[in-house]
Amino acid sequence: MADSASGTADKSVQVKLVLLGEAAVGKSSVVLRFVSNEFQPNKEPTIGAAFLTQKCRLEDRILRYEIWDTAGQERFHSLAPMYYRNAQAAVVVYDVTKASSLEKAKSWVKELQRQANPNIVIALAGNKVDLVQSSASSPSAASPPESEDEADDATATPGETAGSPSEPESLRQVPREEAQAYATEAGLLFFETSAKTGEGIVDIFTEIAKKIPIEHILAATRGTSGRPGASGSRVEATRQPGVNLEEDATKGKDACNC
Amino acid sequence: MSTISTALRHFKEPTKEQLTEIFFSLPPLEPTGDASAKESHESSKMDINAVLSLGETEDSYAGKLHIMPPYLAFSSLDKKSVRFTIPLSTIRRVERLNARAGVYALSMSTWHGMKIIVQLTSLRPTADLFCSLLRDALKVELQRGQMKLVKNFVKTCYSEVLVSESSTSADNEREDGSLIPDEKDGTTQEVTYHGGLGLKFKFPGDPKKLREASKIKLWTTYLRTHGRNLTLLRYPQCTRLVQVGLPNRLRGEMWETLSGSIYLRYANPGYYDRLLEEHKGTTSTSTEDIEKDLHRSLPEYAGYQSPEGIDALRRVLRAYTYMNPDLGYCQAMNILAAAILIYMSEEQAFWLLEVLCGRLLPGYYAPSMHGTLLDQRVFESLVQKYLPIIHDHFQAVDVQLSVASLPWFLSLYINSMPMVFAFRIVDCFLCMGPKVLFQVGCVAILKINGEQLLQIQDDGQFLNLMRDYFASLGDSAHPHSSDPRARAITVFQELLLVSFREFSVITEDIILAERRRFRGEIIHSIESFAKRGAIRNLKTLGRFNKEQAGLVYDALYKAMCIIPPPPTVAPPPSLFTTGEGYEEKPETRIGLRTFKQFLSEIATWARDEKIVMNGFQQRIDREVAEHEFIDRLFYFWDVGCHGALSFQDLVSGLDGVMFNDLMENIEWFFNLHDKNKDGYLTKDEVLTLSESFLFIFRYEVGDAYLGAVSRFMTNAFEYGDALLPQNNKSSDATDSRPTSPAPIASNQPYLNLATFRMVVLADEVLESFFETDLSESFKLHPLPEMELPSSNSGILGDLWSTIATDSNKKMFNMFTDEIGKTIGKHQVVNKPSIGRYTKLEEPKARESLLTPTLRKSLSKMSLSSSGRTTSAPLSSSSTLSVNTTLEPPAKSLPNVPDSGSLSAMPMLQAVNAAALMERTPFAIDDAKDDEDDTDDESLDGNNNDDQVMDEVDAFLEAHDSGLTDADKAVANDLLHAEPLK
Repeated sequence: MADSASGTADKSVQVKLVLLGEAAVGKSSVVLRFVSNEFQPNKEPTIGAAFLTQKCRLEDRILRYEIWDTAGQERFHSLAPMYYRNAQAAVVVYDVTKASSLEKAKSWVKELQRQANPNIVIALAGNKVDLVQSSASSPSAASPPESEDEADDATATPGETAGSPSEPESLRQVPREEAQAYATEAGLLFFETSAKTGEGIVDIFTEIAKKIPIEHILAATRGTSGRPGASGSRVEATRQPGVNLEEDATKGKDACNC
Repeated sequence: MSTISTALRHFKEPTKEQLTEIFFSLPPLEPTGDASAKESHESSKMDINAVLSLGETEDSYAGKLHIMPPYLAFSSLDKKSVRFTIPLSTIRRVERLNARAGVYALSMSTWHGMKIIVQLTSLRPTADLFCSLLRDALKVELQRGQMKLVKNFVKTCYSEVLVSESSTSADNEREDGSLIPDEKDGTTQEVTYHGGLGLKFKFPGDPKKLREASKIKLWTTYLRTHGRNLTLLRYPQCTRLVQVGLPNRLRGEMWETLSGSIYLRYANPGYYDRLLEEHKGTTSTSTEDIEKDLHRSLPEYAGYQSPEGIDALRRVLRAYTYMNPDLGYCQAMNILAAAILIYMSEEQAFWLLEVLCGRLLPGYYAPSMHGTLLDQRVFESLVQKYLPIIHDHFQAVDVQLSVASLPWFLSLYINSMPMVFAFRIVDCFLCMGPKVLFQVGCVAILKINGEQLLQIQDDGQFLNLMRDYFASLGDSAHPHSSDPRARAITVFQELLLVSFREFSVITEDIILAERRRFRGEIIHSIESFAKRGAIRNLKTLGRFNKEQAGLVYDALYKAMCIIPPPPTVAPPPSLFTTGEGYEEKPETRIGLRTFKQFLSEIATWARDEKIVMNGFQQRIDREVAEHEFIDRLFYFWDVGCHGALSFQDLVSGLDGVMFNDLMENIEWFFNLHDKNKDGYLTKDEVLTLSESFLFIFRYEVGDAYLGAVSRFMTNAFEYGDALLPQNNKSSDATDSRPTSPAPIASNQPYLNLATFRMVVLADEVLESFFETDLSESFKLHPLPEMELPSSNSGILGDLWSTIATDSNKKMFNMFTDEIGKTIGKHQVVNKPSIGRYTKLEEPKARESLLTPTLRKSLSKMSLSSSGRTTSAPLSSSSTLSVNTTLEPPAKSLPNVPDSGSLSAMPMLQAVNAAALMERTPFAIDDAKDDEDDTDDESLDGNNNDDQVMDEVDAFLEAHDSGLTDADKAVANDLLHAEPLK
């Protein structure tokens, strides 16, 4: 874990981020990789939600992510609003080896776009990409080469990932193009990641950091004299009109679709 | 794509009797018993005032002795000092004691020779009755052979080994109670008693610190004198021993004894193994979810790094979902199961899991998790009550307690605290009930950390504070104290002290009351959440906006509450192949019966509404209408051919009719009746379509619609015949000439859309029906809030909800009706579905719309028929105009044979207003049947007449009570009245 929440450093900006996605797609592992650069093959399922923090440097600013890692099982769904309320960013995770997990991810995106903070920055992450990379030891080795991520730092390691012992062969079920197309259409950031190798993980958080309307969060924090009520003012800040035209545009587009 | 559940609506507050059973941890009555058995079961229950004494060392306690076959239970008056629940089969001897006059005492000895003395302090006859019940119940147990089972069962209990051994720890045990593998064969020796993974993989915690040896010693002494396993008597000493922590070796058995799961295991020998055997190899979403979590349950414990532990965990979790398919598997259950399996055998753990999920943590793991949400709300309210400052601070900084407390409750602290401490909370929880979670856990934790909690500003700081606190539980609470004994007190001990000393005010009753108070709120929020989700997940809203879709949802939800749909059938396992991805998500679909209920909420013609006036009140009695038309609509909307409709189907279906203009409506109606979708109606279908018209118009005032339908039929057959050669070249009847339309069989393509449209537009009434009335007959309007189960709190609320039940309302209505009848003010009027015509005038057919060429082809008769229609307006007839309707069609037309009976229709016109008020549904329905029959049976009208008359008679008889003598006389007169000419 990074630092304990003793207080916000003066220069750092707090960003509340929530992780959503189907059970066992590796949400907790993504966070764990980001926060402490570790990987645990058998991670206990999250009950309710876990809370972690990590700082992220962006140019001259320091972002302090408050990460809410939520439970994935369907029946915990009704608890999710408790965690994504006031969130400025969301990472919706799916498993590239499980097509149904993308469907679930889509429904999360839909829910966030309608129910959450209107200016929330959403990133879509296709996790467990290490299972489908060509160097993987999978006997079928059928993973298409074009699925290779552009991330150069990723040296894919063979082997199987936690939570997927029941999956027969490590086969990609979600083509990168399909997910990418959906993400573009819905106005999401998109990454393929591997919590196991670390591929793409940090990218998610830096790209989110670039897209977050930091100035408004800062303005709001400065505006309020004391810290009490800070979280409330964060919401106001992000609700200011015209913050993120791109986001608004995609939202409009999305609304037409439905 | 979503499931809609009405399960929360079925919640019923437990009865007093059920509460008693819950208090004594009795297993629920076996469902095998039929009604009479249950009745006799009820009559064999009894409770009586009694004083319990045991040997020399224990005080006597006054309380209540309950006989609830096959159990005998006692509780002291304060409900916590002393209690026991003993299966009758463990009692070997009951004697009436020879004591002073006026004292009625029984001595009961258990199979192991423990003597319990109960003095029955009620009046003599009551005591006698109690004794006879006890005697009967014991006899039953003896006959069932239960007595013999006891000895074998107790062999599975470690406590028996404990009390029989002279030394406190056996030779083959380690200090922590786990077994030392036998040197010779490397395995632990065969043991008959049950134990958990801890026997092999060691128990968590340092046995020295936990003072295992002295705990075992104390317990052995206690168990020797106070009974054990099935016969444990819980005196204050027992509770104290539990509070200092159970010894590892005894923990599993004490858990099942304290929680009462031992009674389930006792009553269902072999059930667990059978269950696994029966479901061998079956998979479901639950079993898939379980697989995902098996390696993620207490992974740091050695037992779960070996296949042995994993397999045990898999079997227990699976068995639980096999037994409770509706509940399935919920994350957090794996943590509970993994934890208890350290101390218990699989079978023990299985039954304890059942008790935990079913009784102790009700609704926590349900698909909606309503129990969890409810208890979080209760917890918040308790914090508000007992720690108002903290509560206010949290409100001010907008921090939700649940973000931290939810996992505490869901996993009984097992993954929040170090395990050794969590298990001690579980000890107390199983001994003292769910209130412990609130006491210990939360309120005390918050109080102890009060100072720091007032400093926190957001959720994150709150969670971190809690995490640090839990990590420090093993530390000294007073590290700087000069007194070594004070230094020895750990933070955890302090926590328990605060919990039980300062928050003993939080009783079971308070928790129950708070749950009652918030249940309505929670159900409401879950349901509105589900509703938003269902609407969001619709693939298309059609032309509805979200609010309108919400109204559709409400109607559907209400219908589902009234007529629950059949349980969703799980798709065959083959669909669950993980390889193909896109597995169909379970989706709620409703059957025909629920659909009828649903439609009756929305479409005016899909319900029979009777306006009842009885002088006291005017009310509308609503009944669901039954007609083939509704069935037709059901299958029409079932585009996926599932034999059931989803929410999406309903929305799309309604979308297909509610926003239509004239032409679209005509086409829609046409398609609805075009069964094979070939673009043609057959003659049969034309008749069915007319029936649909008559069904929709059945309560309309005046005869405009009847006339219109009759004209429609005449015209449809006219034009159908006339246009056949042109429009139907491709049909088999190639030789059909305009002059001989007869050869078209009743099931051949006959009428196309264009002709249908023309025929409809030829009539002003039908035109206006399709123009606006059809679409408008579907009305989405907000439904009144449905009564939630016990949404009101307090005595008044309860009282009201008992008074205002549906059946009572019905009785009240019946009562006022009766009065209304006797004073002659009872009146029932059917509310029309469309209600466009309130007057009795009949619009004229639009002759002008018919083109001259068509006119030529019209037969003379049809012209004269329409002529009659217009020329015979407003003749008045009697109330039961069935007489006129049913007159055999005298002038059937030779060239329109099928529609012959229709010429009777115009005679139905012009009924006076008063008569209409009382027109029964039969008037139209039978008229329509009549047409049908004549159609099929070549005009055997007289015969039909009689049948229908019989029915009318029957109808009148059935409603005898509904009519005063005067009414009856009138009705009888009317029955024999001749139609006016």
